[in-house]
Amino acid sequence: MMKDIYILGIESSCDETSCSIVKNGCEEIATVISSQIDIHKNFGGVVPEIASRQHVKNITMVIEDCLQQANMKIEDVDAIAVTYGPGLIGSLLIGLEAAKTLAYIYNKPLIPVHHIAGHIYANNLVKKMEFPLLALVVSGGHTELVYMKEDLSFEILGGTLDDAVGECYDKVARVVGIPYPGGPSIDKLAAIGKKSYKLPLPLDDNSYNFSFSGLKSAVINLAHNEEQRGNELNKEDLAASFQNVVVEIIGKKVEKAMEEKGIKYFVTAGGVAANKRLRERLSNICEEKNIDYCFPAIRYCTDNAAMIAAAGYYYFLKNRTSGFIINAKSSEVLK
Amino acid sequence: MRYLYLDTTSNYLYTGVVEENKLLCEYKEKFDHDLSTMALQTIINMLESNNLKPTDIDKILLVNGPGSFTGCRIGVTIAKVFAWTLNKPISLISSLEAMALTDDEYDYHVPVLDARRDYVFGGIYDKENNSIMKDQHVKRFVLETAISNMSDNYIFITNDSLELNGKVKAYDPDILKIVLKYKDRENVNPHSIDANYLKLTEAEENLNDKKC
Repeated sequence: MMKDIYILGIESSCDETSCSIVKNGCEEIATVISSQIDIHKNFGGVVPEIASRQHVKNITMVIEDCLQQANMKIEDVDAIAVTYGPGLIGSLLIGLEAAKTLAYIYNKPLIPVHHIAGHIYANNLVKKMEFPLLALVVSGGHTELVYMKEDLSFEILGGTLDDAVGECYDKVARVVGIPYPGGPSIDKLAAIGKKSYKLPLPLDDNSYNFSFSGLKSAVINLAHNEEQRGNELNKEDLAASFQNVVVEIIGKKVEKAMEEKGIKYFVTAGGVAANKRLRERLSNICEEKNIDYCFPAIRYCTDNAAMIAAAGYYYFLKNRTSGFIINAKSSEVLK
Repeated sequence: MRYLYLDTTSNYLYTGVVEENKLLCEYKEKFDHDLSTMALQTIINMLESNNLKPTDIDKILLVNGPGSFTGCRIGVTIAKVFAWTLNKPISLISSLEAMALTDDEYDYHVPVLDARRDYVFGGIYDKENNSIMKDQHVKRFVLETAISNMSDNYIFITNDSLELNGKVKAYDPDILKIVLKYKDRENVNPHSIDANYLKLTEAEENLNDKKC
């Protein structure tokens, strides 16, 4: 019988300081997340320098809490996985420096994990992924379609040419007066609204790329015009109209990729993977096409270290470890 | 007792190990862009070349700022993880008080770090390294005026290319001297250690301005 592998993961790429221990890439032993959302709310979005400062304050307490919850010591883990990019450089550096120091002191392999690989592998914490698969990555910083023929093989089919979908949700939320982070609230409003506003379907072409800046501008212009005409903006209807267009275009491109790539399995990843309407649409597509699928648990959609430890397990099996002369990368292609 | 000294608050890495009254090893180097990449490996190289393991260190003396925000955070993260996980005592030193110890000749020592836009991080220290004007983020001319009103017998200490109104000495830390001076400073809980920024973020300053 194979020995169990325990990976300690650390994630600090944006505004969450997190540590987790995952067994064999699929079984979460303990996860601690210290969110800074209440701090950044005051500024209408994440302030990078404030995020870095909070990570420094939190980092050892978060790791200690995680070890205590797991009833484990660092000596008990097989490797230390950490997000090295992409993300906010100052934030990434804290997790990376902490991971390097622990790996040195305890003589453990250091595993640098790509943040998006982590989001995709959050699905392994629900059930084991099957290949070849299509992954839809939708978050505040990313909108990508990724084809994987096996573990850690990433082929990016397409991505956003401008704003990420989650970023667009937050901006639309701001237009209708919902404080940061507004994305989840738009989903709730949309559930009770009607698709009464006409909005353009963005980048409805033959590629796998997305573009959301035009849609964002259309929402801003619409809100502005309604205000000038003295009409009260129906927030619920605007949310429903906006969300309908987003889900429609994502669904279209996902269907196209499924047909052309001949996949067996479909996963979503990232914060927007928590969106109810998007989940409905994508599960309908998969059921129509008889493709097995998985959505990450809601708690694994936003940034967390469990996903980094889960992905780290496969890096560990492939011996993709690093020395200590490694820097954080604010922008890094998934490879 | 073996003390590990660590200062990454500027674009220089200053680190060393002191055993009792003797400097076992030290490393001082300027890193233009890659301090965060190189800091830990450089410390490891220094320790290993002296056959030292992390557990051989009995106490950490950490310089936690002010200075480069990123630089401060690198040293703080390494040191607090080190002290927390190995349960080692750790004490904090201000970058400016470490700098002030460089000189013995003048009555007043004025350590200065460039904080851009005509601002500096600076303080005034006497011959015994007592703080006469506390470390602060201040307009350069305010610090210059304060010291010139106080005495004629002073020296600025800096590693930055600042045009200062007075004699200037380049900072080259005497790590043994700093460690011996501050080795008995009170220990702090590693979890509570933070960088000593001496300045709010711009976003916080703007928010405070709006509130006023």
